[in-house]
Amino acid sequence: MRFTITREKLQEGLSAVTASIPAKTTLPVLANLLVETTERGIRLSGTDLDIAVSTEVIADVDSQGAITIPAKKLAEIARELPSAPVRVSATGEQRVTLECGKTRFRLLGLPKDEFPSFPSVRFSESWRVRSGDLQKLISHTAFAASTEESRPILNGVLWEMRPGHMRMVATNGHRLAKIELPLESVGAPSADLIVPPKALEQIRRLFAAEEDLEIARGDNHLGFRSPFTAVFTRLIEGPYPNYEQVIPRDNERVAVADRNALFQALKRMSIIASDQTHRIRLAFNAGMVKFSVQTPDLGEAQDELSVSYEGDPLEIGFNASYLLEILRYMPTDEVRMTFKAPERAATVEPMGWSDPAKYLCLVMPLRLVD
Amino acid sequence: MVSRILLADADAFYVAIARMVDPDGAGKAPLLIVGGTRESRGVVCSASYETRKFGVRSAMPISRALRLCPDAMCVPVPRGACSRMHREIRAVLDRFSPVVESASIDEWYMDLAGTEALYHNEPLSVTARRIRDAVAEATGLSVSIGGGTSKLVAKLAVERAKPKPGTGATGVHVVEPGQEAEFLATFALADLPLVGPKFQERLARLGMKTVRDVLPYDAATLSRWLGDREGEWLYERVRGIDRSEVESRGDAKSISRDETFAEDIKSDDELHHELLTLVTRAASDLRADGMTARTITVRIRDFDFRTRSASRTLPRGVIADRVIHGVAKGLLAKLRSSRRVPARLLGVALSSLAADPDADQLALFEAAASGEEETARDRALVRAVDKLRERFGAEGIAMGRTRNDE
Repeated sequence: MRFTITREKLQEGLSAVTASIPAKTTLPVLANLLVETTERGIRLSGTDLDIAVSTEVIADVDSQGAITIPAKKLAEIARELPSAPVRVSATGEQRVTLECGKTRFRLLGLPKDEFPSFPSVRFSESWRVRSGDLQKLISHTAFAASTEESRPILNGVLWEMRPGHMRMVATNGHRLAKIELPLESVGAPSADLIVPPKALEQIRRLFAAEEDLEIARGDNHLGFRSPFTAVFTRLIEGPYPNYEQVIPRDNERVAVADRNALFQALKRMSIIASDQTHRIRLAFNAGMVKFSVQTPDLGEAQDELSVSYEGDPLEIGFNASYLLEILRYMPTDEVRMTFKAPERAATVEPMGWSDPAKYLCLVMPLRLVD
Repeated sequence: MVSRILLADADAFYVAIARMVDPDGAGKAPLLIVGGTRESRGVVCSASYETRKFGVRSAMPISRALRLCPDAMCVPVPRGACSRMHREIRAVLDRFSPVVESASIDEWYMDLAGTEALYHNEPLSVTARRIRDAVAEATGLSVSIGGGTSKLVAKLAVERAKPKPGTGATGVHVVEPGQEAEFLATFALADLPLVGPKFQERLARLGMKTVRDVLPYDAATLSRWLGDREGEWLYERVRGIDRSEVESRGDAKSISRDETFAEDIKSDDELHHELLTLVTRAASDLRADGMTARTITVRIRDFDFRTRSASRTLPRGVIADRVIHGVAKGLLAKLRSSRRVPARLLGVALSSLAADPDADQLALFEAAASGEEETARDRALVRAVDKLRERFGAEGIAMGRTRNDE
């Protein structure tokens, strides 16, 4: 195997792939990148067995071949090389030489046969989605997935493909984010996929907004690809909880508030809120919400904010960090909140979003103890 | 800041309270054993000074105590009154010290560091005496108080403080800062907390029986003889050095409940039945303290006094009877399968405690109960049960299997 590549192209390929290399692994080959020659140049691939990323960059190939190279060292070398063409050649299965100007490195790799093969997915039956649309879905929901191990299904983001729309939902059991985007057609039949947020983060990072992606599933995997780059991820199995059932339909108390002002007030209150529960109290009255927080052994704080509010007065408790997080992802200057009762789910939605997407967040209150 | 630690130890706590609740019976019996009735199979929880002359000691089976002192009156432990008085004494101590740690039902550590100006720089022994008087006035019970710069010194000093007949002690003994080594040098190694019979034997084989015997050796020598941990530990202890801090209530290390049976229990079914009762009580204490537990331990004492235990640590803190009981059941089964003999005592301990941040967080999905995973439904259920118990008492509601249907 022998090829020549510019330092910039090498770095471009590496930056796409190295994020998928596990920091610690018991399987030595996973610390390596697979480098293969192709018709257009070279393909770099890395995986932690949950997620696999592969990308093709342009290079001049003199002779075909494949080898695996320690990913971290290759990235460090690429960073320090002068800006000049890099000649890479492999002798046998395990030795690779990099030359750039007068600099010369020799690295020990591992045979390509040790590198795990990528999951097979049937791209012949694929959905077609614009990367930008997918990014919008991911960035408004992935934050809400659970990070605790007690309920693995909630560690994933539910992605529903339907004729005419697609939808993403994530929740940790206490708060939930849901976004729905109308589409003319996605190509393949309806499906419910539960995807690890880590994989979605790679998708968001790797593909340019205007790219069209082909998405297809294998037995237990999902693949995404554009002409140069492909991402594969394990899917989480199991039925996702029935989220439709918990979305309130009859919340008749409605408040509309300035998102930024609300965010700032909550941030101030959360300074005094308990580190454990983040408990704050909101009291809604005509035209006004009063915030208060009382933490034993620490102190108390109050604040208030003008809002438009319809409905009977309401006192309700929340984990301030859940509200802050939701507000951070709200895309509009004003937000609309609805409530039913102190121990029922509240909703938060953008007000006057010009986007065709429909976005809704839910948050369960904290019981107020007096 | 130098620690100013006091240890208040209630004098003959159980005996005093047994006399307080039954002034005409126990109150008039000089020979008094608290722990159970004459027929019961419990152990001596506490005995009056008069019975101690016959050789009666705490933790001794009541049957044996009665052979030593046949005329003694035996009464069960007045548990309710004991916990009430424990809280009352604690409330007095809280008035004097910012940090109070309940070390057991009848011992409390206090750290008065930083209160010097508050008490007009009076000597610690004077403050201790005022605390002693305040406890007596508020509760009618007498406490002895030991003091010093560490918990170790306070613990040893309180033994010197107890006003036992013939000792001339006055109820307060405070070791001044700088005097620790001299004070320690008056003790035998067996007097030091955590120096048990086995360790004493090891030390005796090296020619060390008293604190004075250890003082000539440096830490390196002791480590060579006893291993690094024990060597360093002993080197510091004989000099009165003990870095453990007085920890206030929120830092309780474990919550445990145990039961010594009136008759040894042979059947697994019956033991499992007892286990459920113990779990119910321990879990309810856990929730009352607003804590969650990650580690569950089951302890069993066989008929021949061999004590065995098994424990498991869960990935996250739990509070629900169902989950704790599920784990405890597995542990008991394991203990029983390795030695299936009659049991005299069964205990459940909950540890790795942490404040429960989700206590009041409502959940979107009420998942069905399954295995060891604690669900929102489990939590809601036990909290509802706790509310019922508040209204109708502990017996008002119980898990189906704790009811004795037979």
